[in-house]
Amino acid sequence: MRRALKVLTINCVCPPAIRQQEVAGIRSKFPNKIPVIIERYDREKFLPPLDKTKFLVPHELTMTQFVTIIRNRMSLLPTQAFYLLIDGSGLASMSLTMAQVYREHQDDDGFLYITYASQEMFGHSKPL
Amino acid sequence: MDAATLTYDTLRFGEFEDFPETSEPVWILGKNYNALTEKEDILSDITSRLWFTYRKNFPPIGGTGPTSDTGWGCMLRCGQMILGEALLCRHLGRDWRWAQGQKPREEYISILNAFIDKKDSYYSIHQIAQMGVGEGKPIGQWYGPNTVAQVLKKLAVFDTWSRLVVHVAMDNTVVIEEIKRLCMPWLDAAESAEAAVGGGVNGCLEGACALSEEETALWRPLVLLIPLRLGLSDINEAYIETLKQCFMLPQSLGVIGGKPNSAHYFIGYVGEELIYLDPHTTQPAVEPCEDGQVPDDTYHCQHPPCRMHICELDPSIAAGFFCRTEDEFDDWCMRIRRLSCKRGGLPMFELVDSQPSHMVSVDALNLTPDFSDSDRLERFFDSEDEEFEILSL
Repeated sequence: MRRALKVLTINCVCPPAIRQQEVAGIRSKFPNKIPVIIERYDREKFLPPLDKTKFLVPHELTMTQFVTIIRNRMSLLPTQAFYLLIDGSGLASMSLTMAQVYREHQDDDGFLYITYASQEMFGHSKPL
Repeated sequence: MDAATLTYDTLRFGEFEDFPETSEPVWILGKNYNALTEKEDILSDITSRLWFTYRKNFPPIGGTGPTSDTGWGCMLRCGQMILGEALLCRHLGRDWRWAQGQKPREEYISILNAFIDKKDSYYSIHQIAQMGVGEGKPIGQWYGPNTVAQVLKKLAVFDTWSRLVVHVAMDNTVVIEEIKRLCMPWLDAAESAEAAVGGGVNGCLEGACALSEEETALWRPLVLLIPLRLGLSDINEAYIETLKQCFMLPQSLGVIGGKPNSAHYFIGYVGEELIYLDPHTTQPAVEPCEDGQVPDDTYHCQHPPCRMHICELDPSIAAGFFCRTEDEFDDWCMRIRRLSCKRGGLPMFELVDSQPSHMVSVDALNLTPDFSDSDRLERFFDSEDEEFEILSL
């Protein structure tokens, strides 16, 4: 799944070797920041796209803070469903810092990939 | 019931597989059964749950709207089922059983009346559909588990009989302090009264006594709903064991979710199969009798329950729990903590003591692009990196 997502969004404009170089460069310039790519789930119907997808975030930023930033960017209500799936598979634990998540889940190319999605809706026939 | 419906239902009922003869444990809403020796008990437990399905020929929603929810109401019906279960636990207890044809208890009739398809029942399809408009869902739109959870939370405020606190935990995080404040609001009231009176004991006691009429004076019964997304297109297998454990907790209200496009109310599991009640049968709306009694046969699922492989589950769900007392809630917290220490499954949500402070005061954070001197300098020299947005604390 995460490969498929990346192919759709990043790979087509930027081959892996170049991305690796890019990360190495950015890491040496900003040693106190973590490179994160946040992507919209390709079948997401309710949440808007973000104008920026590549972020450099402080190590000590918690997932709660990160979620709050993204929620605010999208002007979501607190009652709207919003989930961050690390590497397209597991829910982000809100109390972890970016550095902790990065250590566990960074990609081979050096980025941390996060996908955002709301919830599916359920119904049988076409909605009225 | 007309002839066509009868035939349809008879045909459908014929399709249901009998409950499996297996030595694997069966879990139904926190109760453990043996399928080989307790089959009767299993079926009686399942039949006792409230089964809400599509209905037709009810009074038009909003006066001029739809008179049937076939095709769109399945998640709304699942919301009714999980809340119905909470009301059964609240007023009758988990061990209560439905006995067909017997004179029902007063509380049972009141519960059923709260869900009858008419505009003034607390949790009718009419109320849920209309309250959903405020959640951005026009009448007749499909709901997700979070949508119906948010609507039930709003509707529960008007149910002064049950005095429930319906709490919807967002961002896959359950905050203990937040829940305790909701279930024991008089603690806050007492604190502020104390502050106003200047630490006087009288103010504090008065606040507490005003609600001490019944047991809910100590703790308003909690319905905890946790909407989740356990994967993108499929459920992440790492969650399967933790999902099963949800049904093993004594506080379990089950899970609302479904297969893609079809919402189901999951009440338990056996082996690798989830056991669920399915709202996808259209039944005629039921009119309460003059004396307030409700013909209730069609509100209980009397065929063997549906089952599906756990991997077929759509990742969008909401898990529900009921804590009648503070002790039950503390016990739930203890069990969740114990589970998260165990290996072999990924926790579906996080349990924390208090709201992280940054959750409340986000504005206090400098979360705009970073303009600290060094970074600004770097950005100046590195203009090809403008695609990156730099965040700082």
